[in-house]
Amino acid sequence: MSVGLLLAACGPAAQPAAPTAAPAKPAEAAKPAESKPAAPAAQAAATTAPAKPAEAAKPVTVSNPPTSPEMVDAIDLTGKNVEVVYWHNRPQKDQEMLTTLLDEFSKSNPYGIKARAEIAGASYPDVYNKVSAAIQAGQPPEISVAYQNQAAFYRAQNAIIDINPFLKSKKYGLSDEDMKDYFQTFLDSDLNPQFQGERLGFPTQRSIEVMYYNADWLKQLGYNEAPKDWKTWEEAACKASDPAANKYGWAFRHDASNFASQVFSRGGRILAPDGASYVFNSEAGVETTAMIQRMFKNKCAVEIPTSERNGEQNRFAAGQVLFTFASSSGLPFYQEAVSKGSNFKWDINMLPNNGKPAVNLYGASVSIYKTTPEKELAAWLVIKFLGEKAQTTKWAVNTGYLPVRQSAKADVLNTYKADPKWGAAADSYARMFDWFQYAMVESPVAGYDPVRDLIDKEVATKAATDANADPKKLVEDATTKANAILKENAPKR
Amino acid sequence: MIEAAERTAPRHPSRPTKLTAGGVAIQAVIVVAAVLAVVPFLFMVMTALKSYASVINNVIWPWPPLGGEAPQFGNFAEAIQTIGWDSQWQTFLFFRYLANSVIVSLSIVTGVLVTSTMAAYALGRMELPGKQLLFVIVLITMMLPEDLTLVPKIVMMFNLRWYNTYFALIVPFLVNVFSIFLLRQFFMQIPKDLFEAALIDGMGHVRFMISIVVPLSKPALLTVALLNFIWAWDAFKWPLLATRDSNMRVLAVGLQQFMQGQGTQVHLLMAFAAMVILPVLILYFVAQRQFREGILNTGLKG
Repeated sequence: MSVGLLLAACGPAAQPAAPTAAPAKPAEAAKPAESKPAAPAAQAAATTAPAKPAEAAKPVTVSNPPTSPEMVDAIDLTGKNVEVVYWHNRPQKDQEMLTTLLDEFSKSNPYGIKARAEIAGASYPDVYNKVSAAIQAGQPPEISVAYQNQAAFYRAQNAIIDINPFLKSKKYGLSDEDMKDYFQTFLDSDLNPQFQGERLGFPTQRSIEVMYYNADWLKQLGYNEAPKDWKTWEEAACKASDPAANKYGWAFRHDASNFASQVFSRGGRILAPDGASYVFNSEAGVETTAMIQRMFKNKCAVEIPTSERNGEQNRFAAGQVLFTFASSSGLPFYQEAVSKGSNFKWDINMLPNNGKPAVNLYGASVSIYKTTPEKELAAWLVIKFLGEKAQTTKWAVNTGYLPVRQSAKADVLNTYKADPKWGAAADSYARMFDWFQYAMVESPVAGYDPVRDLIDKEVATKAATDANADPKKLVEDATTKANAILKENAPKR
Repeated sequence: MIEAAERTAPRHPSRPTKLTAGGVAIQAVIVVAAVLAVVPFLFMVMTALKSYASVINNVIWPWPPLGGEAPQFGNFAEAIQTIGWDSQWQTFLFFRYLANSVIVSLSIVTGVLVTSTMAAYALGRMELPGKQLLFVIVLITMMLPEDLTLVPKIVMMFNLRWYNTYFALIVPFLVNVFSIFLLRQFFMQIPKDLFEAALIDGMGHVRFMISIVVPLSKPALLTVALLNFIWAWDAFKWPLLATRDSNMRVLAVGLQQFMQGQGTQVHLLMAFAAMVILPVLILYFVAQRQFREGILNTGLKG
């Protein structure tokens, strides 16, 4: 058991094991020492390449993991009867649907691949703990859900693989048409800057951070539409607040993603585009921190304790809170809660911004673990299947997440509109598709989990509880610490 | 007459009751503490009987005479349905979880009673070289945070091929250091003369432990059994991580079904939670006298 992993599993400041080298170049990958000869059928597949028959006849050797589309093409699954286990964190209801989907895959795929899903935990940290232990025991699943930063941590231990060769495989990959059908921002969110753009996961679902607002209340306050800039938003929130009547403009949730969404909408970033440093000490970070501080100082916000799960949603539904910032996957839950609660007119919008819209893109992807080339390919085929139009539609309809393909949009919307449970939320859901173009990703690097704690405890919470704290100092100090964590967790070259 | 009076008089006549400020303060503190301890339980039961609308709207008492809502006993059935269906047993998963909880908890209690009794006897009654050091080492393991050992334990389960089996749910908990400590304290109060007399009668340590120590230690053993039953019954994280199939999961894991996603059906969660803790409550009320004695006689009382 590596001490680094143990620490990572139990607390912040993880120190990953030394990463593997960057993917080998094709020529290197063909070295006999680290590869094995392709099966005859695979060789035959390789010889069918259209150009230069003499070169194509060369046997393609497959390394583990395959580092080129040609290697993936050369893998032969015939008669291998590979099993793929998928670890996720969804509840039993979703497990049953996933099982139905994977049973369908098991019956229909021509390679005899058997796929099944397992609930590996109730939350992403549960799955992370279990995966970390399984990696140490040398028994990871074939695929699992993983946030981008968690995937980076697994990759640093050489436990998951780059999906690009599979994606680009002529035989098993995605066609150009399929690639265009995927929402590009979703696909891009899995390209990891710490590993030279390796694709460490593949999206099967996504959601975005949106602003939920009580439209009736807002109208009473004299606003006919959701505030589009932060000044108006703050003004409306403070107008709505009446602590004596337990009414507040905003429900402040302890969540670094909330903070990140606000920073994005002010034109800032959490992490530099190259993944080399944290940059939330920008003007946008300072403004966000200062606003949180002002909101509490002026009694315009109410704190939702971490123990009060979905407390902001319940207070919103009871008509006690004007605005909340939360995941779009909560839409059906908000719909039900409001209809059972104060039953007012409500809607969603992008968070206010400083003239340039930005939305925080949420959602874990599915990563492939390093097992055998055959299992890795089978795992990719399962992921590919889950991303197909029919499957992504079913998943979105059942979970409230967004489908990953544009072609699924109409089917999902029609289903929602026909379902009385969704009510007006179906129209709100439809509008989100126009917002994807503004999507941003928080921090897809190893060690982001402790940085999330840092942002919550040492920036947002301090701003909310200490009216005299200096916002600039708070973000500066936290950014310095975050960069130390980033350095500690960076892949060793 | 005098004899009768003596017979009916309390064996330890209480002091004359005198209302002092200190006494009242202590009683007040006790009452407040008791109420505080009961409030979460009451909150759970009351929420379990409310409609979702009453929960959302923070209605404290939605029932007559203050409100017009009937107690929502249907929440319990709905909670059971929400957990899902076990296609293997053709029943609700709740019953599968219940069976697993019973099997696991009873196995752990049995195992802990055996291992703790033996260890506590050895550490408390036998003359062994290095006994004190060994006892200190055993106690030190109590100081390790559970989360620190979580990953190594999971690794062990994988390596032993116990992952997703009853072995994983039971074996790591068959030794409980606190139980060893508690029983050792109790065993040490048994007079040495008793063992010397037993020695003259030809008894060895094993027979003395089984025939004399165990029968004399029933309250302490019951306390150990009850505590371990509660711990095993309530365990959540380990059963979740050490298993993969719903047919190996326990009741506490079923609770997480209500807390996922972006919304929580609090009334159903509370209804399920009430059902989960019901067996523990029944057990406690049945065994409370022995439980109290067990704690009082181990030197752990304040």
